[in-house]
Amino acid sequence: MARPKIKPEVRTEASTKAEKRWNVVVRNDPVNFMGYVVVAFVNVLRISQDSAKRLMRLIHEEGRATVWTGGRERAEMLVLELQQWHLDARLEQDA
Amino acid sequence: MPEIRLTMTAEARGVLSDLLRLIAPAAARVAVGRAHVPDEDEELAGHWTGALESHAAEEARLLATAFATAKGDPAVILLRNEAQALGFLRAISSVRMALRELVFADIPDSRLETTEDLDDESLPSEKRHAIACYACFGLLQQSLVAQLSPESLD
Repeated sequence: MARPKIKPEVRTEASTKAEKRWNVVVRNDPVNFMGYVVVAFVNVLRISQDSAKRLMRLIHEEGRATVWTGGRERAEMLVLELQQWHLDARLEQDA
Repeated sequence: MPEIRLTMTAEARGVLSDLLRLIAPAAARVAVGRAHVPDEDEELAGHWTGALESHAAEEARLLATAFATAKGDPAVILLRNEAQALGFLRAISSVRMALRELVFADIPDSRLETTEDLDDESLPSEKRHAIACYACFGLLQQSLVAQLSPESLD
């Protein structure tokens, strides 16, 4: 049986389009105690006590901090969970 | 996690329970009002708001039930597992937020930290009462954090 003589043309193209990244930002608030904020970060962000304390201090001193950066879907989930802990959490697109 | 016990006088339990009956229904509304919900997608915003509302309402119920069922003098609230304890922590935060926003939003934070308004006779008595309850809920929350995760307070 004769083989078809069509040579398929294959092209490869590297995609360099990066996914947009999103920041989970938490602002300082006057109601929640520092220890409570640390417990919230450990439970929601699944980070160590030391990392949670570092973030909490940064928020206390600077007024806000980015506590997580990554894909939109996960960022939305984290913001919602932090808001359920009554923290002032917001979603911001990474610059 | 071992069982956690929060103890208060019967009088304090009565006062806080009465206040919870008044403020708890508003706490869910305040939680939703404060939250920055992404609004570019209407469907997502609807789900988001619904999730915040139902979560806050559930916590308000948990808190009200815990105070209503605490018996004896001193009254003891028992939290049997970590999920219950964390829910209780969040619920106290929600009530403090609601008190801050609805009853004494006009008082600066620096004055609340020193609780000097508790002795300020020029303030209406209901406002002083609310500030006292705000401080009590704060003490309960800190006591719970100290038992649940003492290293968080270092």
